[in-house]
Amino acid sequence: MHLSILCAMLIMLIPWPKAMIVYQPHWMALLIAYWSFNAGNNRIMLVAFCYGLLLDILMGSLLGKHGMSLVALSFLVTKSAKQLRMTSMGQLLAMVLVLMLNDIIIRGIIDWLSFGYKPALIDLAPLITAGITWPWLKYFLDRMQVSYRNST
Amino acid sequence: MESLTGNQKVTKSPLFKFLILEFICLSLMIADKNHHLAQPVRNALSLAAIPLVKIIEWPQEMYQIIEVALSRQAQLIEENTQLKEQLIDTQLKVQQNVSLTAENERLRNMLNATTTSPLTTSVAFVSNINQHQKKQYIIIDQGTSQGIFNGQAVLNLEGVIGQVDVLAQQFSHVILITDKAHALPVEILRTGMRTIAYGNGESISLNEVPTSADLQIGDVVVTSGFGNRFPRGLKVAEIESINVSPDRTFQTSVAKPYAQFDKLTEVFLVWPSNNSANDE
Repeated sequence: MHLSILCAMLIMLIPWPKAMIVYQPHWMALLIAYWSFNAGNNRIMLVAFCYGLLLDILMGSLLGKHGMSLVALSFLVTKSAKQLRMTSMGQLLAMVLVLMLNDIIIRGIIDWLSFGYKPALIDLAPLITAGITWPWLKYFLDRMQVSYRNST
Repeated sequence: MESLTGNQKVTKSPLFKFLILEFICLSLMIADKNHHLAQPVRNALSLAAIPLVKIIEWPQEMYQIIEVALSRQAQLIEENTQLKEQLIDTQLKVQQNVSLTAENERLRNMLNATTTSPLTTSVAFVSNINQHQKKQYIIIDQGTSQGIFNGQAVLNLEGVIGQVDVLAQQFSHVILITDKAHALPVEILRTGMRTIAYGNGESISLNEVPTSADLQIGDVVVTSGFGNRFPRGLKVAEIESINVSPDRTFQTSVAKPYAQFDKLTEVFLVWPSNNSANDE
């Protein structure tokens, strides 16, 4: 679990070309959503908090901005995880998109309050790519989990 | 979770954890906004973040090493001649400057004005450039353990780049002058008019010039030294376009910075002249 989250953090840190950065989905949020969905206990929220703070240090944002949005995300998913497991893939995708939007809104509000950044419509572009990558990510991580469980 | 009884249910419920964690985040953010309160926490956590930054830096260093090892001799000879020509040019300019500086000193003494001292700089290497829409910054490989302080000016041979914004032990973030939350006190070289240049995400804009002022396309914008953050006289940008504001009281102009932000490899950090520079 930690390995996948660390990989997501590395992907977010790599200096992508300027045009690609705007469309990059928030990998950390996607992975935290996935693991909150699968993990049965509540420790995932603490994990999300710690990784959020680490991401803050790396991205130089206000200490706690990513912590807040990732904790909110993992809380919302953990709360509705049981119901979500029974839904179809499409509904799950819609739910994830809504949660990503929530994540973007929280970070946008914090940026607005602290630095006066006016939110632009282009900020919602990561949602599209997140919608595209989520099914693949879920499928891939599910396969890895199953193979990990079968091998131990 | 279903078998919790009585008291346990409140403290272990997800809602409680959520509220506690959010509260911690909120207090960290407020403490961090006033900069110095959260710095120890940031320092401690950045020790954990160092491996990740090193992993990102490593391919770039490898590429540079390979590039140097594979450079062909002809290319190196050509680069060598170019650098020699540049060196001769700058040495000639320095010679001219020596007499100009001496004359400047004499005139300032006559007017009893304060003297300007030369800049003390040190070099830092850029490990990451992030020019996202909302936040424009670069990461350099020096931090508090090399004595970097918040607000330190960062520049390049071509022009001003920004100032140090977020510090960690071994690396720090430099906010670029094109970031929307950054404002730089500047003056127009030709006329001496002082104004402030705000970042607008791609270049910088000068929004507060009265319409009666003399401003032309191609004017060079330099730092004015106000605010004691940036030394005076460093090149910043060149005016690209001039418009009039909607209520016709100000000229709004856009200036293109001289420094190429997406091609940065090394930057210079400016140290105050009464401290000694750390050459690392």
